[in-house]
Amino acid sequence: MDILKSIYEVSWFILLIAAGVAALEGYFYSHFKFYARPWFFPAALSVFPALALAVFGTLLGGYSFKLWLYFLLAEAAIAAFFRFAVKGRHTVPYLLLAPAFVGLALLLVYPFVFEVYLSFHDLKLTTIMMWKNTGTLPFVGISQYIKVFTTSPLSEITFWALLGRTLVWTFSNVFFHVLGGFLLALMLNNHIRFKGVYRTLLVIPWAMPQVVAVLAMRGEFHSQNGFVNIIIAKLLAVFPFLAHLGVAPVQWLSDYPLLTCTLINIWLGIPFMMVVILGGLQSISSSYYDAADIDGASYSQKLRFITLPLVRPVMMPAVTLGTVWTFNNINVIYLVTGQSGGTEQADILVSALYKAAFTYNRYSYSAAFAIVVFAMLFFFSVFYLKSFDAAKDER
Amino acid sequence: MATVQFKGIVKKFGDNLVLNGVDVDIKDHEFVVIVGPSGCGKTTLLRMLAGLEEVTDGEIFIDNLLVNELHPSKREIAMVFQDYALYPHMTVEENMNFALRLRKMAKTEILSRVTEAANILQLGKFLKRMPKQLSGGQRQRVAIGRAIVRKPKVFLFDEPLSNLDAKLREEMRVEIAKLYQRLNATIIYVTHDQVEAMTLAGRIVIMNHGIVQQVGSPIEVYRKPVNLFVAGFIGSPTMNFLSGRLSIADGVAVFSNESLTLPIPAFVLPQKEAADGREVVLGIRPDDVMVERPGGEKCSGKIDGVLEVCELLGHRENLYLKVGGQRLLATVEAFFNRSPGSAVSLCFNYQNMHVFDKTTERRISE
Amino acid sequence: MSAAAKRKRINHLLIHAGLICFAAACVYPLLRIFSVSLRPGDKLFSTDLSLIPAGATFISYARLLGDTMFLRWLWNSLIITLATSFIGVSLASTAAYAFSRFRFPGKKAGMILLLSSQMIPAGMLILPLFLMIMKLKLMNTYLGMIIAYSVSSLPFSIWILKGYYDTIPRSLEEAALVDGTSQVGAFWRIILPLTTPALSIAFLFNFTTAWNEYLVARVVLFSAKQYTWTLGLFELQGQYITQWGMFAAGSMLVTIPVLCVFLYSSKWLISGLTLGSVKG
Repeated sequence: MDILKSIYEVSWFILLIAAGVAALEGYFYSHFKFYARPWFFPAALSVFPALALAVFGTLLGGYSFKLWLYFLLAEAAIAAFFRFAVKGRHTVPYLLLAPAFVGLALLLVYPFVFEVYLSFHDLKLTTIMMWKNTGTLPFVGISQYIKVFTTSPLSEITFWALLGRTLVWTFSNVFFHVLGGFLLALMLNNHIRFKGVYRTLLVIPWAMPQVVAVLAMRGEFHSQNGFVNIIIAKLLAVFPFLAHLGVAPVQWLSDYPLLTCTLINIWLGIPFMMVVILGGLQSISSSYYDAADIDGASYSQKLRFITLPLVRPVMMPAVTLGTVWTFNNINVIYLVTGQSGGTEQADILVSALYKAAFTYNRYSYSAAFAIVVFAMLFFFSVFYLKSFDAAKDER
Repeated sequence: MATVQFKGIVKKFGDNLVLNGVDVDIKDHEFVVIVGPSGCGKTTLLRMLAGLEEVTDGEIFIDNLLVNELHPSKREIAMVFQDYALYPHMTVEENMNFALRLRKMAKTEILSRVTEAANILQLGKFLKRMPKQLSGGQRQRVAIGRAIVRKPKVFLFDEPLSNLDAKLREEMRVEIAKLYQRLNATIIYVTHDQVEAMTLAGRIVIMNHGIVQQVGSPIEVYRKPVNLFVAGFIGSPTMNFLSGRLSIADGVAVFSNESLTLPIPAFVLPQKEAADGREVVLGIRPDDVMVERPGGEKCSGKIDGVLEVCELLGHRENLYLKVGGQRLLATVEAFFNRSPGSAVSLCFNYQNMHVFDKTTERRISE
Repeated sequence: MSAAAKRKRINHLLIHAGLICFAAACVYPLLRIFSVSLRPGDKLFSTDLSLIPAGATFISYARLLGDTMFLRWLWNSLIITLATSFIGVSLASTAAYAFSRFRFPGKKAGMILLLSSQMIPAGMLILPLFLMIMKLKLMNTYLGMIIAYSVSSLPFSIWILKGYYDTIPRSLEEAALVDGTSQVGAFWRIILPLTTPALSIAFLFNFTTAWNEYLVARVVLFSAKQYTWTLGLFELQGQYITQWGMFAAGSMLVTIPVLCVFLYSSKWLISGLTLGSVKG
């Protein structure tokens, strides 16, 4: 019965969304169509705010004059925009974009703006009741931002050390992703037997649900039952001299948490790079290699002067994206060390920020923190893509 | 079938003026070829007629109906695209009857039209195949078939042969010519290839820089090009151009430059155009440059030149000559057994000589 | 055998050896989960490395399905994920088409918005979303989860689909217009059918993102009945006695279908990703 009920509930919801999209399209279409009519402003201003009040008032459970006033102002702005800026042009693309962008505006831009608002105020465990009751928060200016750089979200480490750790984490991961991916792609890009089988097996870490993959790998690093320590113990039994070199089973999860996370994340991330690079390699015409053979190039010369430069344009966007994703990767670290009482030695910026908000309840502080992280990533990407574009223009 | 009129057509992409006042009248059942170098606006003109581009200014009529604002599907036209634009996920048959299905035509009527078109184009055994299983020439025929089944008022062809290799292109050219005789339709055909224009057209519209340069039958534009551009564009190999200055000696116009001096007969250049000191360009097709040879043409008023390179084409031979500092191309009958570097004497066929004003570039000869 | 052929053969042997090592490293953890899931209850913590353990049994599977609400969790995940993916792909397909085919003011800004949304740190938007869902009284419901998830993969989906639309020649739509469809008809009848591979990739991407998500789920869902499988498994693994056997059995059950879908579509995935990245 529950199953039937849930199907009913969700189908109903999807129909509701479809109706919402249709209403949205109709709303915008009327603006495109009638923007020039003399009755446009009075009609739009009387109909739409009232409709919006009816719908949202029901959803949020409360109709108020203030809400209507908000809708009226919004409609006035939108109507003026259509009347004086859009003037009925570009109807088709805007209508195609409208649902997606309204969705993004509500569920991505609005939360983002809300976080910006929070970052200039003070929302924490002690002020949350006041906020619930009165709807206002103490304005604190940029002091949250100052705190981001001067204090730390965690107990044992400063912001700058955390940033350094994040950079080490990001670069070691991306480096080994690209290296491993490149190596595997080069090996796969030969006429060998079982190529399809290899490729299938090699993407498994990527294909597995990340929660399962990380938790399983975490088990392998367990000090007694994990594969890694078992193998080290077996190796030591066969080659006793290794013990003199300092090889011994270790408490991976508690003594080397960051190293463990990095190893796991490298394992997870190589397949994506491999797939992207393999695609790039396969798109290189073999005539370049033929020409290089005639010119007498060795394998390493071909790699350096043909393969690398020609794969670069395919790789760069993937590397940028990979860098951002790794910088932002909370899954591995949270799943490996995140249980209550877990170590904080492996935390990077984003996982520290998550803990600041949801373990220590410092909401405004974590909002400011998130915006700092966002800004860093944004400028990195802009700079990186710009330099990539410049390189593209040169060629 | 229908007439088509372009009246004062202007097209701007941003600040870029692509078409600048195009006026063309196309009669019923006419095969009109619009030809010009790439970027001259010919394809834009066709796409405006199809309704795929907006008209910035001017009016387009199909059968005296103003179609500027009409949706492409309502214009009763059919178009064959340069890359064929066959729908990859439909079979040949579905491609051909797509438009008819959209119009909710009766099944039997659809079937008979598709069968008829398939017979004309010898596509019968490919009807169930997908476009990617066909060769370039077959795809081309499907694209034409898709247009035929519509029985449109006007057929539009946008450089349909440019993706085919030379041999197929010739075959399809003949096919299209036959098709025209059979359908007796109004066809507007855009190409940059002047051979296609000359062989297919009832009338040619030559365009450059968004302006119609000349409209006329193939023989008109070949014999009487109205300006330097048309003269250089039509005809292969390209016409020889000699720039120089006119002078009047004893009532006879004389052309001269640093390399050669030529009297221009009065039947070529009317008296009123022959002003003393006028800067002009002479145009002479390679076929009209005659080179003296034993047992061959004898020239009067010989000019001395030097043979630089010979190109044997089979039955004809291209001779690259130098007269003073002036290079000339002559096309003569094979075999001109002289080695490069040897001295030759040549003369011009005055019957087909063209004279253009150097500054206006307009034709001033008869 | 010539020297060159011999060298080639040795090369290939080396390549095979290398690939086998890497492939083993990729598959082994999965096999280990499988092995753990088959262990009888008293041998869960052993240093045994064999794949089929001594006394292999399906008791963990039976206990997982019988004693926990695992099937219910799977169902919750499935319905939330399918609805999310459906909404996400529908929105992305039209938006990407607009970006690919039309020129309009704000196009560049829109693309930058999409790209920069990838820079938003994980966890940043959870609090506002949580508050929003609370306001809409959708805590602990499917709808709340669907709303929270629906746009999370939208930017990436739009990006991939735009790259694919860009490779479809415009003349196809123009031919359809001349043949008598409207602009929308040309999109629906000609372009969408041709985009099936990219749509599947976008769907897969939406699906895996929502299927594997747990950060938002942790704050929105609080009753065990409404859990998604990620939360459920986390619970099994996180309790003071880790239910390793059941955890492993559950992992196998969620991994195998996803793995099959993923491997089945991997060919498309690869072409789609490289396309997207070349164009992007």
